Order: sequence, then C-alpha cells, then structure tokens
Amino acid sequence: MTVIEASATPPRRLAWQLAEVREIAVETPRVKSLLLHVPAWQGHLPGQHVDIRLTAEDGYQAQHSYSIASPPEDELLALTVELVDDGEVSPYLIDNVRAGDQFELRGPIGGYFVWTIATEGPLCLIAGGSGIAPLAAMLRHRARRKDRTPALLVYSSRTLEDIIYREELETMAQRDSNLRLVNTLTRKQPEGWTGYRRRIDKAMLAEVAFPPEQDPKIFICGPTPLVEDASRFLVELGHPFPTIKTERFGPTGGLAS
Amino acid sequence: MDSTPISRGFTSRRQELTSKNRTPPGQYVTADFPVLSAGPTPQTKVEDWTLALQLGGSLLRKWSWAEFEALPQTTIKTDIHCVTKWSKLDTTWRGVTFDDLLKAVGLAAPPAPYVMAHCDGGYSTNLPLADLVDGKGMIVTRYEDLPIPPAHGGPARLLVPHLYFWKSGKWVRRLRFMEEDEHGFWESLGYHNYGNPWKEQRYDGD
Amino acid sequence: MTEISSELFLDGNAAASLLQEIFVPEITSAQILCDACGFAGSVGSLRVYAASMGAVLRCTRCDGVLMRAAHTPHGRWLEMTGARHLRF
Repeated sequence: MTVIEASATPPRRLAWQLAEVREIAVETPRVKSLLLHVPAWQGHLPGQHVDIRLTAEDGYQAQHSYSIASPPEDELLALTVELVDDGEVSPYLIDNVRAGDQFELRGPIGGYFVWTIATEGPLCLIAGGSGIAPLAAMLRHRARRKDRTPALLVYSSRTLEDIIYREELETMAQRDSNLRLVNTLTRKQPEGWTGYRRRIDKAMLAEVAFPPEQDPKIFICGPTPLVEDASRFLVELGHPFPTIKTERFGPTGGLAS
Repeated sequence: MDSTPISRGFTSRRQELTSKNRTPPGQYVTADFPVLSAGPTPQTKVEDWTLALQLGGSLLRKWSWAEFEALPQTTIKTDIHCVTKWSKLDTTWRGVTFDDLLKAVGLAAPPAPYVMAHCDGGYSTNLPLADLVDGKGMIVTRYEDLPIPPAHGGPARLLVPHLYFWKSGKWVRRLRFMEEDEHGFWESLGYHNYGNPWKEQRYDGD
Repeated sequence: MTEISSELFLDGNAAASLLQEIFVPEITSAQILCDACGFAGSVGSLRVYAASMGAVLRCTRCDGVLMRAAHTPHGRWLEMTGARHLRF
C-alpha cells in the first residue's frame, strides 16, 4: 500500500458514492460491522468518518455519520454500527441490510481526529461503547504496519459480551508487548474478573495512562459524559488541552448527522 | 427527480408516528422534548432577570421578575413543531400573552409591524406583530406547571406555537419593535423568514 | 443541569460534513483565530452547537461564535464574522 502522510489529505469535493455490502460481522448482540466495497475509494486516514444516506421508495431520506473502523491498509471499508432503538438509520443497518445491498456513502471526512504511525509520541486511546470504532482503525493501522509505538487502550463497556472486537484486541495485545489493553466493565463482570469494575475515573487514568512527560497523543471517543469526564481527568493529571482530541457521540449514540 | 439509489427495504419509522390532523407535513410526533441550542445554556437568575420593550431608540418599559409575574397569567395547552421535524403534542405553558403585555404598557395596538426578540446568549428571532397578538404569542415562564428549566429556555421564553419552534426564542430578554423587518439568527442563515409549519416553510426559498 | 448543557454541543468534527461541502481543503485541521478573544485552535477542537440545524461553532475559550453554517435545499450558507482568519 502507498505510504500515508498525515498532513496530506488531498483536497477534493465531497461526493456521494455507492457502497456495496460485502460482508456483515456480528460483533455483539447490538453491534454489527458492515464491510463495504466502495469503488474508486481514494483512501482514508485512521480516525476519519463517512456519511451514510438512505433513500426510501417515497423519496424520504435519512443520513448518519459513522467512523471508519478499518485501517487504510484494508481493501474493504468497515463501519461498526450500534443499534439505537429510536434511531432512523441504525435499525435499518442492523436489522435489514444484507450482503449485496447498496447505499450511498461519502467521505472520508475529518482531518482533526486522525492518527497515523507517522505521528510521534505514545498513543493513548480511551473508548466507551461503540466509540471504539475510530480508535480500532488507529490500532489496526498500527498493527498492519507492525509499528511499535507504545500504545494504550482504555475501553469501557457494560459487560464482557459488550466489548466490541474483544478477541481481536486481546490477540493484538498478546502479540505486542508495546500495546496495553485495559478493559473496564461497568455493569456486570464475569466470575474471576480481575480488571476494573467501574466507570473511567481519575484514579484509573492515573494508574494506567502515559504520564504527560512522555507527550502522548490522546484520543477519546464515546458517549458525551465519558468523553467529558475523561478529558477533564487527563487535564487535571497534567496533559495539555491541545494533546487531547475528542469525538463525542450525540444523544443519538453516533456522530451527528 | 434525480436517480438517487433506493435503499432496499428502507422506510421511515418516524413517519409512522404521525397524528393525521395535528402533525404538519414532514413532522413526526415525539414524547421526548429534545433540547436544541445555538450556544451554552445561560443561567440567568430571576433576581437578575428583566424584560425590556423597546421602540426606536427608547425603552418603553422594563419589568423585573416580580413585576412580570404580577401581570395577568394565561395557561394554554398547545402543540409545538420544530424545524428538525419533531412535533410534541399537548404541551402546557403558562405566562403572559402579548396582548396583555401591550395592555400593560398602555398600547391598544402594536406600535410597529415587526419585532426582534433578543435573548440571553445572543440568540435572536424576528416576527411580525400580527403573529403575536390576538392570543397567538406569549412570554412563558412555566412548562407543565413547573418553572421552565434553563435548557428549555427558562426563566422565560417566547411561545409562538403556530410557527416553527425556532421562533419561540429561549431566554428572551428584550423585544425590539421594528418598522422594517430584519433577520434574526437562523433567518440570516438560510432559514425561512416566516416559518409556517403547515406550509412547510423551513428554509428561505420554500 | 450541567449534564444537560454538555449534551448540547459536539466536537468540531461533527460539523465536518457540512463544512467540507463548502471548503475544498480539509477544514477540521485548519487553524482558526477568534476575533473576540484571540484564541487560536483547530476547527475540529471547537464546540459545535445546533448540529441538527446546521452548525454553530464556538470558541473554546470565550464561547463567541466563530462560524455558522447551514445546508438548505436552496443553498449552503456560511458566516464567519467571528473569526479573524482561517489558516489551512
């Protein structure tokens, strides 16, 4: 694959393209990943997102943004969708979509919440629920490139079954001594669970996060309360505000459309 | 009609939630009360709150909270319609009608054809006076019998339910009468100047 | 009440789709200078309000409005009077 330069997002007009669903992967009871073929896809940077647009037969349209979960090294584009009960787009993507279906997509969008192996400094990722998607793109990119940048993922989920990409993340961490994976389960823990059992708090971050002197690049993605709390704690722990990049999901559970 | 690809099997779930006669075109009914703001929620205390009426360069009248609460109170139950497509039915509000406001200032008729509502936080919206008088508009201080929460516009907001809800400016503090119409916050950014939900006047050009 | 307030805004990249329809170079990594208080930051780090109606991008330091944008069926609107400049 071509070398990715973090600063070189080529300027282009956003245009709607047709994406075809090639595969569907069930991640958790409420989460699926759709693997898409997008002809003439020009590549993306880990952390960027796309807009999806659905059109009903009567012309009614609904739109939603989803982070790209796949790294630029992968051929198919992966979107990880969590079912939001009263949502407009996610119920369709979770319950109706089959392989072979097509819908409109445009992107990649967003150059701010982006990380590549060309960036210096340890990588500190903090995720809640489906906020893991853009951070997974970063970690998968790092793994594909066999990059050894020290990295940490602090991932908050309700239960063990809700951890998205659980096995993949565990395997990634087992194979890479420079990648630390810290799961916290906030609602229910399995027997014998030795990990954290609470929402991400300042004490937890003080224990696991890279100290400010190491100049980590920090990305936080998930529901608004988690993002607010985590970024506040990190600032209190001495991390400069500009090193903390956040992507908060709105009340609908995803990026605003 | 362009050739936008149809998404197989996609229908709007929200369109099922309409109440035929009560929902304007394109709206869906919600039991929630979504909060939409153009900025951070002002936290104005009632001790500091005043409402001013202005005409030209002069101040017609300024009420303190206590004075405003002493004006004739009216309670209404009405439906509200947001331009972002949600409608909420049977909402109950209490406050002062625009008619009573004008009476309190000794005006038998509106002194100008238009008004700009200026709100804490910098929000503004413009309206014809004809759409505020005859019971059509109010300044409300209670929602469902309780003080309006700051996120929903408290201590006081405009209520003009026959127009899209962005015209019911939250955190209203000043009403400036105008001889000529001027655009408020959303009206100057491509939204419709009038905003009749029954004619689906969402955007300038509709 | 603070909880409700903080649900009201999103991060600058939530406005990315809307703004990227107008700007050709990548907008969220552009640096913007607040005319009111002089604060400089990337567009992606700004607070975005009213995302369902368009985007109202406010300064992280003084809450002043830096950019306003809306996409309507009749055209796209952009107002940037609160920003002294944008640097790409």
